[in-house]
Amino acid sequence: MRSTGLKTTFPKGLHYLSGNEAAAEGAIAAGCRFYAGYPITPSSEIMERMALRLSELRGVFIQMEDEISSICAVIGASWAGAKAMTATSGPGFSLMQESIGYAAFTETPCVIIDVQRAGPCTGQATKVGSGDIMQARWGSHGDYQVIALSPWSVQEMYDLTLRAFNLSERYRVPAMVMADEAVGHLRETIRIPEKIEIWDRKKEKGGAPFGTDEEDGVPPMPAFGEGERLLVTGSTHDAFGFRRTDDPEAHAKLVERINQKILKSTRVIVETEDYFLEDSDTALIAYGFTARTSLYVVKRLRKEGARVGLLRLKTLWPFPEEAVAELGRRVKRIFVPEMNQGQVAGEVKKYARCDVISLGQTNGEVIQPGTILEALTKI
Amino acid sequence: MPAIIQVRLSGFGGQGIVLAGILLGEAGVIEGKYVAGSNSYGAQARGSNCKSEIVFSDGPIDFPHLTKADILLAMSQGAYNLYCEDVKEGSGLILFDQGQVMPREGLHLIEIGVPATEYALKRLKNRQVANIVLLGAFIEITKIVSRKAMEKAIRVHVAERFRSLNLKALQIGIELGRRVHG
Repeated sequence: MRSTGLKTTFPKGLHYLSGNEAAAEGAIAAGCRFYAGYPITPSSEIMERMALRLSELRGVFIQMEDEISSICAVIGASWAGAKAMTATSGPGFSLMQESIGYAAFTETPCVIIDVQRAGPCTGQATKVGSGDIMQARWGSHGDYQVIALSPWSVQEMYDLTLRAFNLSERYRVPAMVMADEAVGHLRETIRIPEKIEIWDRKKEKGGAPFGTDEEDGVPPMPAFGEGERLLVTGSTHDAFGFRRTDDPEAHAKLVERINQKILKSTRVIVETEDYFLEDSDTALIAYGFTARTSLYVVKRLRKEGARVGLLRLKTLWPFPEEAVAELGRRVKRIFVPEMNQGQVAGEVKKYARCDVISLGQTNGEVIQPGTILEALTKI
Repeated sequence: MPAIIQVRLSGFGGQGIVLAGILLGEAGVIEGKYVAGSNSYGAQARGSNCKSEIVFSDGPIDFPHLTKADILLAMSQGAYNLYCEDVKEGSGLILFDQGQVMPREGLHLIEIGVPATEYALKRLKNRQVANIVLLGAFIEITKIVSRKAMEKAIRVHVAERFRSLNLKALQIGIELGRRVHG
C-alpha cells in the first residue's frame, strides 16, 4: 500500500476507495489513534491502511501475536485514554469473544470491525458470508449488550465505523461493525463529509467510574495516568471498581445497568431505512451487501406493479424490534435474504406477527438478484 | 448513453487487470460518475483467470456487481473464452488483445482487436504495461472517461518511478485506439 502523504484525516470530497480502506479512514476521522490486530482475510486491508495512516499521524500501531492479545491491547489502550480498535474476520472474532465480554462488563469503549467471510471455522477464507451476526450478540458468556452496525456500501464503511466509535464512547460499550467481504472489497465513490460529529467519553474528577445515578446509566471514565484511583476488573464490582463477588445486590445492579444503558437508548442507537413500504403487502428485510441486492430486486418488481418494499437494518444490535414488529402488522409476509442459515430471520420471527420466510444462502457467494426474484415470484 | 454501463476487464493474474480496473474506476470518480468496482480476490488474482468489474452510472448504484457486461476487455484466451458469451448481444463490445487472443466468430456484437501486448513490447520494451495500452485504446474508442481523468488516475495510483512509463503506454494505447477504430 502506498503512502498517502497525509499528516491529517482524509480530505473531504469524492474519492474512490475500497470498503476496508474507507473503514480505516472513518476510524481515523473518529479520532482512533491506536490499532492492534492480527491480519486475516478479508479484513487485512484495514490493518494495512491503519499501519500506514497511524505512522503518518503518529498514532500507535501494533501487530500482535494473535486476536486474543489484539483485543486485549485495544482494551488496555482504551483505559489509557485512546480511541482504539481492531479488525478481524470470523476465526479471529471467535478468539476475541471472551475479552469482548470483559470489555462489555468493564464498560470499555472499543471498536471491532468484523469483515465476515464464509464460516464456520476457517471455512472459505476469501469468500463472503454473514454468519457472525448471532455471535456478535451472544459470543461471550453472561448477560450483556453490544452495539453492532451493518454497512451496505463503501460510504457506510466510513460512516458507520465513525458512528461505531461515537456510540462506543457515548455508551462505554464495545461497538462492532459487522461488514462482509463483498462490502469490504467493493470499491465505490465515497464522499468524505465536510463536518462530522464526534463523541468523547465523559470525564468527571473523582467520579465513580462504574456507577451513576444519571438517567443514561453511563458513568464517567477516567484514564490511567490522570490521577484518579482506578481499578478495573472483570469480576463483579461496585461503583469504584472494588470486587463484590458474593453480593447478590451488587451483581444484579451492575448487570442490570450495563444492559439497560443500551436498551433504553435504542431510539438513539437503532437505525433502519424504509424503501417503498407505504403500500406493500410483501416486504424484504435485509442488511449489509444483501440489502443492495434486495433494493435492486424491489425496484425491478415495483416496475411490474408488485407491492413490495424493503426494510434495511443499519443497526443489528440492539435489534430493531419496533420497526420489525410494526412492519409485521402492515404486511402479509416478510422475506429475509441473508448470507447465513437464517440468523436474522429468526429474530424477525420473534417480533413480526406475519409469515416470515428465510432466504438464507451459505455457498460463499453473494446472493444474486435472480435468487431473490425467483423466491418472490413464487408467491 | 444508457444510465448504467458495465465493464469487465479480464486476463490472467499478473497482467495488471486489477490495477486497470482501479484506474478506470478512479477516472470515473474524477469525472463525477457513480462507480462501483470489484475484482478477483485471493489465489485467482495471482496466476489464473483474473477479472475486474466496473459499473458506471449517472446515479447511485443499487446492486454494485456486474449483472451482464456491456463491454469486455480480454487480455488472455482463457479469460476471453470464459467471458465472451456474457456480453450483451447486439449492443455489446469486446476489445481483445490481438496476438494474445483469437476471437470467436458468430458472436452478435462488435469485436475489436488491439495489439496491446505487441505494442507494449515493441514500443516500450515492457509487456507489463500492455494493460495500460489496452486501457488507452478502450477510452479512445468508447470515450467512457476522458484522457485527462485517466492521466490523473495514473498519477494517484501508480508509484512515481513507473508513472512516466504508464503515461507513455496510455498515449500509445490512445493512438492505437484511434487507428483500429478509425
